[in-house]
Amino acid sequence: MRKRLTLVVLALVALASSASVTAAGSQSASLTVYAAASLTDVFRAFDPAPKYSFAGSNTLETQIRNGAPADLFASAAPLNTQRLYKQELVQKPVTFTSNRLALIIPTSNPAGITSIYDLKRKPVKLVVAGAAVPVGAYTRTVLRKMGMSSVLSKVVSQETDVRAVTSKVALGQADAGFVYVTDARAVADRVKVVRIPAWAQPRVRYEIAVVSSSTRKAAAHAWIKALLSVRGQTALKEYGFLPLPAG
Amino acid sequence: MTTALGLGVASASSPWAASAAAATEDDLAFANFGASTEFLVKDFYSRALEARVVSGVRASALKRGKACAAQHAKALSDLLVGAGDVAPLEEDFEFAWPAKTFKTEREAVSTGAGVLRALLGAYQTAAATVTEPSHRILYASLTASVGQQLAELAALQGARAVEPFPVATDLETASDALESYLG
Repeated sequence: MRKRLTLVVLALVALASSASVTAAGSQSASLTVYAAASLTDVFRAFDPAPKYSFAGSNTLETQIRNGAPADLFASAAPLNTQRLYKQELVQKPVTFTSNRLALIIPTSNPAGITSIYDLKRKPVKLVVAGAAVPVGAYTRTVLRKMGMSSVLSKVVSQETDVRAVTSKVALGQADAGFVYVTDARAVADRVKVVRIPAWAQPRVRYEIAVVSSSTRKAAAHAWIKALLSVRGQTALKEYGFLPLPAG
Repeated sequence: MTTALGLGVASASSPWAASAAAATEDDLAFANFGASTEFLVKDFYSRALEARVVSGVRASALKRGKACAAQHAKALSDLLVGAGDVAPLEEDFEFAWPAKTFKTEREAVSTGAGVLRALLGAYQTAAATVTEPSHRILYASLTASVGQQLAELAALQGARAVEPFPVATDLETASDALESYLG
């Protein structure tokens, strides 16, 4: 009798659990998520249901300021979310992951780059993101930390987001470019990664916030909760993102 | 002038932070590398003490080294902040030590000395090349302190670490030597 009762309870728990997953899925299907371009693959894998808009965080920030119908905003830099928070355009942002920068070169490596210091020594065609784009700002931080800002004179193209930088290098239209390590992984068959020293790495933090004008706040909060859960953090880790920073 | 600068370096405050604005980007690269590596050195001493690779009175050499590394990191961080930069934090790094590093005194001393030598080489170059005079004094002091720590580590093994001309290295060489430890 006791055994049968246990089985019934287990079956009910399983049913309830499956129902809650379904409910979360149907809720997230109605969400519009504005997210940094570097989150494209991982967010689609984590939850394909929402309507996504991926771009440079600065572009998305401007769109939200101009009244774009987003429910959530995930930025590659705290600056963008915090600016909106100060203007009460988003609710309090939450840090959900971190990342690192890498220098990528085409597999053919026409410029013969083996070290980041080669950018200073050799004539190279460098591609970076614009200074207002998070990855572009992080790039400039790396170069400043290493005393190498002068290599910005070798920039042949400034892109609007990290995906455009990655694409240019992967297509061999530039000798090197600064991207996140997660973007480098996505084109691993077409580029090589040149490490940036740990002491020169910027502090890359991703933040997410519910947009104040959202009419689906409960679903948006549930989505953030799921992203912070073990399942969300595991998905981020699988795509090469780093764990939540301590503190 | 020299005395005043010397006294400044020895004091608890950071006189070099006041002149940080005069530092060039190349100067600040040394400060960034130095502050980060001093956290690594501090971590080395902490782990060596925890593992009790040396004990009793001899452990005081490790404690002195740890205290020096903390003060060096603070000084260089103050310089960076004074220049308007973001100083590195200990938690920015996941220090990685070879598996056997803290198993024996010999291994620990050998690994620690390797790290200190790379840092010493970079500090020597910084002392000769940075533009701001008070910062040159700072790097000369750091060079002397790291040299003293090397001698203390060598003494633990009953060896001597006296070299007539320790090799000065550029930042790239020092950075490459320590990259695997900084994570």
